[in-house]
Amino acid sequence: MERCRSEIKPRHPARFFLYAILPVLVMVSFLVVYPTIRGVIMSFQNYNLYNLHDVHFVGFKNYRTVYTDSRFYEDLWNTVLWIAGSVSLQFVLGFILALLMWEPFKGRGIYAGLVFYPWALSGFAIGLVWSWLMNGTFGVINDVLMRMHVIEYPIHFLSDPKWAMLSVILVNVWYGIPFFAIMILAALQSVPKSVVEAAMIDGAGPMRRLFGIVIPYIRPTILSTLLLRVIWVMNFPDIIYGTTRGGPAGATETLSVYMVNVVFYENDYSKAATVGVTILAILIVYTLIYIKTTSYEELEL
Amino acid sequence: MVVRKLSVILLVALSALLIAKTTLTVVEVFTSPERDAILKEIINRFEAQNPGVKINLISPPYETAYQKIYTMVSNKQPIDIVEVGDWSLSTLASMGGLENLEPYIAKWDGAKYMLPNLLEFARIYKGKAYLIPNAVYAKTLFIRKDVLKKYGIEHAPKTVFELYGMASYLTDPRKGQYGYDFRGKGYPTDFIDLFVTSFFNDIDPNNMYLTKDGRLIWDDPRAKLGLELYVKIFKNAAPKDAVNWGFSEQINSFVSGIAPLLYQDPDTLGVLRDNLPDNLYETDPLPLGPYGKAYPHYGFSGWGIVSYSKHKDLAWKFIKFFNSPEILSYWCKNYGVLPPDMRVYENDPFFKSDKYKGWIEMFNDPEHYQFTKQPIWSEAWGKWTDLQERTTQEILLGKKTIDQVLKEWSKFWKDAGLK
Amino acid sequence: MRKGKRVLRFILLTVYLIFALFPLIWILLTSIKSPMEVYAFPVKYIPSHLTFQNYQRLFNYAHFGRYFKNSLLVAGISSSVSTILASVAGYALARFKNKWILPTVLFLFFAQMIPAYLIMIPQYVMFSKFNLIDKLSGVILVYSGIGSAFSTIMARGFIARIPVELEEAAMIDGCTRLCSLFKITFPLVLPGLSAVFSFSFVNSWNEIFVASLFLNSDNKMTVPVALYSFISKAGVNWGFLSAGLVVALLPTIVIFAFAQRYIVEGLTRGAMKY
Repeated sequence: MERCRSEIKPRHPARFFLYAILPVLVMVSFLVVYPTIRGVIMSFQNYNLYNLHDVHFVGFKNYRTVYTDSRFYEDLWNTVLWIAGSVSLQFVLGFILALLMWEPFKGRGIYAGLVFYPWALSGFAIGLVWSWLMNGTFGVINDVLMRMHVIEYPIHFLSDPKWAMLSVILVNVWYGIPFFAIMILAALQSVPKSVVEAAMIDGAGPMRRLFGIVIPYIRPTILSTLLLRVIWVMNFPDIIYGTTRGGPAGATETLSVYMVNVVFYENDYSKAATVGVTILAILIVYTLIYIKTTSYEELEL
Repeated sequence: MVVRKLSVILLVALSALLIAKTTLTVVEVFTSPERDAILKEIINRFEAQNPGVKINLISPPYETAYQKIYTMVSNKQPIDIVEVGDWSLSTLASMGGLENLEPYIAKWDGAKYMLPNLLEFARIYKGKAYLIPNAVYAKTLFIRKDVLKKYGIEHAPKTVFELYGMASYLTDPRKGQYGYDFRGKGYPTDFIDLFVTSFFNDIDPNNMYLTKDGRLIWDDPRAKLGLELYVKIFKNAAPKDAVNWGFSEQINSFVSGIAPLLYQDPDTLGVLRDNLPDNLYETDPLPLGPYGKAYPHYGFSGWGIVSYSKHKDLAWKFIKFFNSPEILSYWCKNYGVLPPDMRVYENDPFFKSDKYKGWIEMFNDPEHYQFTKQPIWSEAWGKWTDLQERTTQEILLGKKTIDQVLKEWSKFWKDAGLK
Repeated sequence: MRKGKRVLRFILLTVYLIFALFPLIWILLTSIKSPMEVYAFPVKYIPSHLTFQNYQRLFNYAHFGRYFKNSLLVAGISSSVSTILASVAGYALARFKNKWILPTVLFLFFAQMIPAYLIMIPQYVMFSKFNLIDKLSGVILVYSGIGSAFSTIMARGFIARIPVELEEAAMIDGCTRLCSLFKITFPLVLPGLSAVFSFSFVNSWNEIFVASLFLNSDNKMTVPVALYSFISKAGVNWGFLSAGLVVALLPTIVIFAFAQRYIVEGLTRGAMKY
């Protein structure tokens, strides 16, 4: 099985390449890079709404404030749990769903339209609807479980610190499965049927076919979707904000939720920017390590 | 021919000039579909009375409205009137975004009909009024008469102890019945403060967190008694789940009858009207503490004029129009808030019904109900609400003791410069 | 497939269907309940009588039709623009080998990492300078830009997976480069590009942060912002919000159902064989 990339040689390769990628680069730079630089500068200033007339540089003051607060480290740990829990479950379940949907079956189109819809909901709406479903007193999930006599008393999904993180992760898993399923399903189309069939004739069992043929074939997709999801989930406060606002007692506060709370409660944009720069730095370091250990050649979807 | 054509063009141009409109841009904060409809009706009436004026209403989603307004004002976006909530008032005013309204108030006869001290309450930033209140909020006790009756209870609790007794008597988790609509998340400040201060008899009328002799209430042993009762109510009279309850959950459990005793603001009336038959609920004065006192506070929101507005006089005209008794009465009746103008209470029998009983009795009983101010002018206020919510949850979940948390609160306010 | 396996697959797919669908079912049921029944306790699942008043009110006094049109416009244009830009850029990134590839790809990943609140204020300042506040075009610009970064990463992957030998073989058969691009490569990456398009459509369709900050007037409001504004200080109007969610989901469900045809069937149906 050969990697299917090789070069092409147009007449003016450099110019063609430049023209092709320039629009995207210019747009992204204009919309994202410039404001990011401003945001980083802001994290070294005292930009909050009470002193807009006297914004100046304060050195690392905001960083000291954030990093000397134990809340930051609790939130960092919560962020790790939140990302590891949700991305791994989304990935495994999304992969299984893609494998199940690989072979055509009757009504597959309708099935896909129905099960992919969670990805099409706004984050705030997901949080809102699930916080009702998961309510520990009048919630629908508890009601169903109690009617089925699975539990005797309602589970306090969102108000018991032991459950809260698991609950918000479950919501995120529900939301994120379609992303992996769609991407992996699309990638599976490039796995040549003939190779799989040949392996089958050679007597390879399903597990060996999966790990020996299918996964290596779609490895690039797996690697880059995983990276992308980690990046996105890190910056995704919506579900947590809609269900618990980071509570109870900080049990589900991730760094991105913390950032929202700093903006909403403290109106301190510089402190929020400090948290934002920290998130960005963690992601950059993570991405570089990730790429080093998985080899960049494979980093494509 | 040419002349006729020219004159036609001239005529068209002239009439276009004559009906050229002045646009007044208004940003609201407490957006909701129902409220927007009421607001638009008032705007239509104003436009009908003032030909040539068009009002452009901006209705950002409530949860992001404050941030949006701060951003718009600090970037000098073309707006003339902003709705200001009490705790965004200092922020906006200190940004230099609001016009001092004192010169207008001096010439306005509506000022003397405002609820007693309301304008004083509105002068939290440097002693000047930067808004004219169009709605008053104050917590009172909502009760579900039918649910209480089912358990043989005929009257509302008069004291916090009676409230606790009643609520814990009702509570039976196996039946899904609880007593008190506890608020655990999303700005539970008012609920905590009401219980704590009701154990005092010497709260500073100008600052709820100080006693009259200038000491922080959090250092006082009575604060501990108040918090202890608050925690007991959570443990024995409310669902454990309520640590994570915000406004929606409170309303949900009040309407469904899960918990029939609710502390809430008057705009709850607007919500209940759509969801609950009229004869099932009423409001009553807040239960009193051991000294026979309670310290509610006025929350308010109102219209402010943006400091860089080009149509300040017209903006004032709109505010004056809005605050006329007739419009206020229409506004408050449909939206559900308390009118800031005394004439409305006198003229309109609507505000004498049992739905308003709680507030009216509190207003008329200054001996037991002393309205006071929370220190919302402090820059630390936003951070405080976050800290108080988080640490109270820690008490409720058994992660911190009341003593620990009271110390934290006391330290917070000392650091913030409140004595 | 053997029968036992088929049964197992059927069971698993059904279990997932239930897991995925039950919140939607709850939303649907809520949207046709009367207000009194929404809050009923013990929970009431089936409404005692159907009411469509929530849907009526949605279109009558919240101008939902207009928001819907705005959203279609914004999401349609921006996802088309970003898909087109991304396929071109993705093609270049997949088919060339030079020292700029890695930095470019890393740069595109970097663009995904930036927390919204970090750039909120600077972006707003910039947009107010360019007079793009309260303009649908401003929002379209943001969505196209943000969408094109992610879409390029995706498109590059899909294109890279198509063996370049196929293009070359066609060229030997007398096809020009452009013709081989359109005849061979394009049909092969169509599944991928439809995935790119549907993702970027869904992202723009649901975007709330930029839209609620940059758009002011009622006649420019988009669907998610309108839905978001159903959450008021006085809680959530569930009936209303549920009806809105159902309506907002329709276009995205249609897009997914269409896109999946290409995603899962594009190659198998086509004449292309390995």
